[in-house]
Amino acid sequence: MDESPRQLIARQREAEPRYRGLESGHRACQGCGEALAARLVTEVAGGDVVVANATGCLEVFTTPWPQSAWRMPWMHSLFENAAAIASDIEAALRHQQRPTKVLAFGGDGGTFDIGFQALSGMLEREHDVLYVCYDNEAYMNTGIQRSSSTPHAAMTTTSPPGRERMGKRHLKKDLLSIIGAHHIPYAASASVAYPRDLQRKVRRALEISGPTFLLVHSPCPLGWGHGGERTIEVGRLAVQTGLFPLVEIERGAVTAVMPLRVPRPVSEYLALQGRFRHLFADEPRAREELEHLQALADHNIAVYGLLGGAPDALDADGADTVRRGGAVA
Amino acid sequence: MKQLTRGAWGEPGSSLACHTGSWRDLRPGHEHAAAPCHAACPAGEDPQYWLAAVQEGDHRRAWERLVAANPLPAITGRVCPHPCEQRCNRGHYDTAIGIHGIERFLGDAALAAGWDYPGIVGPPAGAPRVAVVGAGPAGISVAYHLLRHGLVPVVFEAAPEAGGLLRSAIPMTRLPRAVLDAELERVLACGIGLHTRQALGRDFSLDELRAEHAALFLAPGCARSRPWDVQGVIPAGTRDGLDLLKSWIDVGEVPAARRVVVHGGGNTAMDIARVMKRHGAEEVHLVTASGLPGPQTAPDDVLNIVPRELEEGLEEGIVIHPHATLSRVLLRGARIVGVELVALRKLERADGRRARVAFEGTERILQADLVIPCIGEQVDPAGLGALVQRSGFLRVDARGGVAGACDLYAGGDACGNIGTVAAAVGDGRRAANAIAARLAGAEPSERPRTEIGIERLNLNYFEPRPARRAAVLPVAERDDLCEIEGSLDAAAVADEAGRCFACGNCLACDNCWVLCPDAAVLKIADTASDGSRYVFDYDYCKGCGLCASECPSGFIAMRPEPE
Ligand SMILES: Cc1cc2nc3c(=O)[nH]c(=O)nc-3n(C[C@H](O)[C@H](O)[C@H](O)COP(=O)(O)OP(=O)(O)OC[C@H]3O[C@@H](n4cnc5c(N)ncnc54)[C@H](O)[C@@H]3O)c2cc1C
Ligand SMILES: Cc1ncc(C[n+]2csc(CCOP(=O)(O)OP(=O)(O)O)c2C)c(N)n1
Ligand code: SF4
Ligand code: SF4
Repeated sequence: MDESPRQLIARQREAEPRYRGLESGHRACQGCGEALAARLVTEVAGGDVVVANATGCLEVFTTPWPQSAWRMPWMHSLFENAAAIASDIEAALRHQQRPTKVLAFGGDGGTFDIGFQALSGMLEREHDVLYVCYDNEAYMNTGIQRSSSTPHAAMTTTSPPGRERMGKRHLKKDLLSIIGAHHIPYAASASVAYPRDLQRKVRRALEISGPTFLLVHSPCPLGWGHGGERTIEVGRLAVQTGLFPLVEIERGAVTAVMPLRVPRPVSEYLALQGRFRHLFADEPRAREELEHLQALADHNIAVYGLLGGAPDALDADGADTVRRGGAVA
Repeated sequence: MKQLTRGAWGEPGSSLACHTGSWRDLRPGHEHAAAPCHAACPAGEDPQYWLAAVQEGDHRRAWERLVAANPLPAITGRVCPHPCEQRCNRGHYDTAIGIHGIERFLGDAALAAGWDYPGIVGPPAGAPRVAVVGAGPAGISVAYHLLRHGLVPVVFEAAPEAGGLLRSAIPMTRLPRAVLDAELERVLACGIGLHTRQALGRDFSLDELRAEHAALFLAPGCARSRPWDVQGVIPAGTRDGLDLLKSWIDVGEVPAARRVVVHGGGNTAMDIARVMKRHGAEEVHLVTASGLPGPQTAPDDVLNIVPRELEEGLEEGIVIHPHATLSRVLLRGARIVGVELVALRKLERADGRRARVAFEGTERILQADLVIPCIGEQVDPAGLGALVQRSGFLRVDARGGVAGACDLYAGGDACGNIGTVAAAVGDGRRAANAIAARLAGAEPSERPRTEIGIERLNLNYFEPRPARRAAVLPVAERDDLCEIEGSLDAAAVADEAGRCFACGNCLACDNCWVLCPDAAVLKIADTASDGSRYVFDYDYCKGCGLCASECPSGFIAMRPEPE
């Protein structure tokens, strides 16, 4: 019998040369960085895992009852306790002597803020879990409220720019250093704009037995105010400006960074996003905040030593190089 | 039946049941735009497409793609001015791809390996015969493409051998005759009937040919030099550059002279100037009404010399006098002792046409004992009669058709085109398409694709990389025979081809597949109808456009969703 176009494409989908952990048909926004990040993470983690997922966009857009976009055992926890649930799953599997890996997923609200103590406990008790924080820098699922991960001066619905201040008054919490201070074997930051680097870090984390942590910068077109087609461009500029440094931390010490070949001015990154639009107004406060953000980027560049090496294939310009047949790096 | 509340019970399902494609208002699609190199190639090659095969390491397939347009890559790889490289998008980034060196490598590889020309099946019995006059590049090209269309080409050539100016005028230092012979022989062996020493107008007439053939292609080139004098004066014994070059190629000799003035700004002028310099002239001056390439010179005002020949000529000490002409020859008795130059520009006149204007007061004297006119050639009207226009050329439409005669076509230098081998090859190809279409009662089908500029590429995915270029013989080692530009080796070819951006076509980089948040780009095992290995699953694509922005080579375009 002849195959219909739909049957053909369904067969092609099943024959794809990679594992698909996050299936199509999820309800994420167009160009969602978080959906992309979760797709990239689960792709390398494979099917033999159990995932505990905190409340948030990722949970909501993947599992409208009774459908699921996940193709592995996946459990929705509360907003605040993904790490605790993951700890318990891991303990149970260990008791059953099953080698299945456990992952915990949370947004930045669920990680930096409300789920933080559960996460800290999970790390301290040395559970063999990879915790992935999808950092879209605000509580997006409930309508863009500021979190402790929201960058300084960004506009959210709870940090509106106005007479009193220019967007969020406080700074983005340096969560990665706090995680590192738990003396765990591996913690790293990654970005959807550098998918091979991200997937290498997932692989590395999963090889380690013990608690590991990944902070994935995941642009949110809706919350950040950029077109869905710009998600990668925005993510790339966050790295190339130094505002979101990609680093690896082992036992509390920085062991690797993605160097910047030519740091880009922060204004290039900010200008792409509606949440920073007020910084381009013609007034002294705007100019001051722009300088402030540039100083924060320069600070990251200095603290992590992101500059100074010769151009290399794994720096922020080289790491995304492609050729016929795929990525170079 | 017992009613359960929502959430109490549900048939577990996959999100695949939800066709998020309905959210889309823009639809991504693969659009194969013309790479600039393709748009620029007078022969109609698509270098991007054959470079892709080189990137895959398949040299034979690359050559097969190349010769689908141009059967003479070992030749054009050596002599073409390669406008493709001038237009290459990579030229705006670091350095253009050295397309000619790779073309030459593939041409030579085919000569060494004896790969069969693809797409040629013996014409069916009773297939129409098409006569071709002239076996220069235009005639060879049309014959080859006629064969590909299943027609029978019959070529008539006045000279004892095929090749036209490739054989009679282009110096061996640029085109070794072993290469010329080998490549021509292989093309002719595809099944081209060649009758040498057969001249139109001497051995047969146009009417005789028309009576016996379904169509005619005229490619006699330009065999007659334009009349030259300076204010009515022609120094005794003056021979034009093409004539001197031809006898130098035949017997290896040129007239002895200490100070030579070459008048003209084309390849003939530069070639004879360099030969004279090598044969002992102390000074060789090239006087041309055109300008040197550069921002100050309008593109239509640049001298018509292959750029690297200009460079090598300057290296060898040829002195160029741009925007100048000869206003007087200084004679002592019948002997020439010098020339007077005057500055000149092409300027717009009151009627809007551009004309050359010489400026009084800019005259100066050059000592010289030989003047060589190289101001161009025109068609020898023998046998062509009224077809030759007042301009000295044949006139044809865009497909090579001669006005008012549906069986007559023409191409190459005879039509007064820019005068390159590649243009002659392209004329032959287009005319063969037109002839085949007409004989089949169809319209010629060549739909040009729109050209893609660098702004449509995503350069983040590329890295600056040094260009690989072949070694060039040092000036002191250049003689009459040794080829000046060398070959690239396979490693350098792989490296250089690897620099191609794949403008407008799929680079097979996986970006769209890796970056689609909706897993709506599928990578498939076989090749899709558009040549790529990726298909869009429109049931799930939300139309965000991320794949299109991150496609390095501009192969994905977002278009409004059809109603
Ligand atoms: C010195 C010189 C250097 C050049 N260098 C370059 C270069 O580096 N790169 C480049 O691209 N181009 C170069 N050119 C231009 C290039 O050679 C020509 O554009 C090209 O050869 C034109 O091809 P064609 O087939 O139209 O004509 P031709 O090559 O002139 O061939 C015409 C053929 O028709 C034959 N013929 C003529 N009349 C009759 C007749 N009545 N009956 C039968 N046969 C006839 C002739 O014998 C000849 O074989 C150069 C030209 C010259 C003169
Ligand atoms: C204890 C508790 N408080 C509040 C909520 C409402 N709530 C659901 S999702 C969400 C925001 C999630 O933000 P984040 O963790 O940053 O993930 P994102 O949606 O941005 O991916 C909130 C506040 C909740 N579910 N539970
Ligand atoms: S990235 Fe995916 S969802 Fe977005 S337009 Fe391309 S195929 Fe569609
Ligand atoms: S992103 Fe890469 S693989 Fe996809 S269409 Fe463009 S070139 Fe081809």
